[in-house]
Amino acid sequence: MGCDIVTCSTDTKFTHLAWQRSEKELANVKYTMAADPTGKLSRMFGVYNEDNGLDLRGSFLIDPEGKLMGSEMNFYNLGRNIEEQLRKFKANIYMAKKGGNEVCPSKWKDEGDKTLVNPGAKMVGRVHEALQGS
Amino acid sequence: MAETMTATTPPPVKLGQKVPEFDVETFEPSKGDFGTFRLRDQIANKRWTLLFFYPADFTFV
Repeated sequence: MGCDIVTCSTDTKFTHLAWQRSEKELANVKYTMAADPTGKLSRMFGVYNEDNGLDLRGSFLIDPEGKLMGSEMNFYNLGRNIEEQLRKFKANIYMAKKGGNEVCPSKWKDEGDKTLVNPGAKMVGRVHEALQGS
Repeated sequence: MAETMTATTPPPVKLGQKVPEFDVETFEPSKGDFGTFRLRDQIANKRWTLLFFYPADFTFV
């Protein structure tokens, strides 16, 4: 299952073009750069700051049916960890494939790592044992 | 700095809910051209989308 990365700020598409062409760090980018100068899309996700017209650092994962499956928001002074973004994306793909009765605990990194199947009444107070596989 | 510390409103789209249909103008570095991104195209093509918001071009992201 594929994923498309779409970056978005309140800059215009013309500014995106100029930035991508002038900043050498962006020379090889393949992702789509979305322009939201009115803040319409940014408000939809709650990342628009009315005070300065700039977006907060928010990441949102939307599944192939258009459902919001993940959200993370940091203030201006904290960057996002791409490893964690990737972990959450992989976990979402994995769970979508497994179909509903399997959950990925916090330490899950990749396929093959321990998951919890059918978490329910039997697992209440027994998460440690379930994670040990007993 | 004081004004940027203001709390923002919580996300209107909630986790697990359908994201309202949207179109947004884009620059496509792979084509060197402008375009439009539509959520309905992603749904039609069965693709996941990672929307990555950041404050401004020409700054660190």
